[in-house]
Amino acid sequence: MADLWSLIVLDPMINGLLALSSLFPKAAEFGLAIIILTVVVRVASTPLVRRQLKSTKAMQEMQPRIQELQKKYGKNKQKIQQEMMKVYKEAGVNPIGCMWPMLVQFPIWIALYQSIMKSLATTPENLLDLSRHLYSSPRIAQAIPVNSQFLWLDLGQPDRTLILAILVGGTMWVQQKMTTAPSADPRQRSTSSTMLLMMPLMFGLFTTMFPSGLPLFWLVSNVIGIATQYVITGGWGYLKRPSAVSSAQPAARKRR
Amino acid sequence: MRIKVLVWVGLLVVGLAASGCLGSTGPQGYSGVVSSDGILYMGSADGKVVAVSPAARAQGLSFPSSDGEWSFAIMMPSKSFFSCGSSSVAANIYSTPVAANGLICVGIYDGKVMMVSPADRARDLPFPQMRSGEWIYPRGDDVIEAIVGSAVATDDSVYVCCSDGRVYALDISYGDERWRSDPLGAKLWTTPVVDGESIYVSTFDGHIYALSVANGSRLPWSFEAESGFSSSPVLYENTIFVGSFDRNLYAVRIGSDQPLWKFAGGNWFWCSPVVEEGVVYAGCLDGKVYAIDAASGKGLWSRPFDTGSPVVASPLMVGESLVVASDSGDIYVINPTTGTGDRIRNRENDEESSIESQILAPFCEQDGIVYIRGQDNYLYSVDVARRDIKAKLSLS
Repeated sequence: MADLWSLIVLDPMINGLLALSSLFPKAAEFGLAIIILTVVVRVASTPLVRRQLKSTKAMQEMQPRIQELQKKYGKNKQKIQQEMMKVYKEAGVNPIGCMWPMLVQFPIWIALYQSIMKSLATTPENLLDLSRHLYSSPRIAQAIPVNSQFLWLDLGQPDRTLILAILVGGTMWVQQKMTTAPSADPRQRSTSSTMLLMMPLMFGLFTTMFPSGLPLFWLVSNVIGIATQYVITGGWGYLKRPSAVSSAQPAARKRR
Repeated sequence: MRIKVLVWVGLLVVGLAASGCLGSTGPQGYSGVVSSDGILYMGSADGKVVAVSPAARAQGLSFPSSDGEWSFAIMMPSKSFFSCGSSSVAANIYSTPVAANGLICVGIYDGKVMMVSPADRARDLPFPQMRSGEWIYPRGDDVIEAIVGSAVATDDSVYVCCSDGRVYALDISYGDERWRSDPLGAKLWTTPVVDGESIYVSTFDGHIYALSVANGSRLPWSFEAESGFSSSPVLYENTIFVGSFDRNLYAVRIGSDQPLWKFAGGNWFWCSPVVEEGVVYAGCLDGKVYAIDAASGKGLWSRPFDTGSPVVASPLMVGESLVVASDSGDIYVINPTTGTGDRIRNRENDEESSIESQILAPFCEQDGIVYIRGQDNYLYSVDVARRDIKAKLSLS
């Protein structure tokens, strides 16, 4: 299974990354290759992202109706479930529709992550391991080993300046904030606000531990994610609409 | 409130796990074995320099015996941003120790070079005992960048390549820095060759540089290839043999800007070749061992010897035989004339590899016995004549 994964997904990505890096000036080759490959992968997965965002948006717009059902049927979970399915059906929304595009993208992100880490080859064992994944090509031979210097970063070492950690955490927070609808339920609101903080903090923390090549990939990915969301949803979403719930609630009451 | 607490605890656990407190995937090290005055010296996987006496092992004494055996643990300050508990960790050692004026010199991946006295280490005295010639470079908490290749010792100096791209020359008696070269481009993970007044270094960006032994300045001659060099250079009759990331083994005459020949393998030539009586024996990561005529670059065997697994450790000539170990743990004894050979069998299970461990580290021979350090941190002794694994000793 691991061999198949390498053959079909990982090896082409590693070789693509290295071939790409050989096109750039040595001084910034691998940093630029990470950025370009991340952009290419994000652009290639735009149809999936668009679908995921639309499903998420539709689900969020239905939240007031779902909350009404929860209030109406109290602890009768079976009834709530049945009514919810009816609502989804009426609106033409598949409740797991926002999940599968994400699942399809998952292996691509794992491969991209692995290919960056393997190509960086920070230790002699890593470099030896890299030899098992490479195609016989002069272009790839010229790229080995990659120059890990990029801007102020050594892509093979964690960034000790905290600049990258702040950028990764900040962009992740913005991206999440754009899509997280504030809830009317205080408990849910508390949970989602914790989650909103937790992920950026966690990734900020990871940035101080992992070789900078990986956080650079997260940063670029976040920036593209923000741009994609801005274009697809037509604005900053919930980043600039904190009162979305209060405006949604009267509308729901009117419908009732 | 409960959810918040759980979330923060989860965050903390994940953070600790990622910081290496709950497991690490960093460098492991593959220091080789060297024989000096009847004692074997090596770096262990858990950051020790270990001295083993084959004589004491033959007598079945418990390790370490008083027969010149010891182990010296090297601890380095933790580099983790969020270190937990202990602030020091075991060193990583890739460099094979070298004997120098009765002492042992070893480079540490964590950025130190050490000269240790076997007599003082056997007595477990505080390190360094300067009166015995022990030293550490740089002194105190300072470090240079990672050292992967082995040091080379001459009468008065120790030369070592560093990941900062420089070659360092250190005084052999006190460890003072005599000079450091200008950065030679990419990081240097190789062992230099010292020949008379010149030092030859192969680099990851595809250069072979000649430096002055006196002051580390670059001499007029250098060689440039299109791809980086993967192995340490070997010098034989004014020709340098070195493996490249373009899957070729290069033969370069000193003074020439064109290779004498290139020999293509199926992957990188990672380990240094062995040159004996005009024949280059080169192990390759494609799993094959090639015999090449040093003058013409022509393959000498009807077909290369196939081990089936990458050859990371340099082959070794033992008497009339060539001993080769593969990454999978198989050890072969090859007839260097014909290129045919036998696999040394695993005593317990013939189906298994010769030893049940990866072999990455260079090995050595003493009195017809080959000593190999496996990545499982055992030292294996191999009787080449009998094609037999004699014994193994845990270095942990």
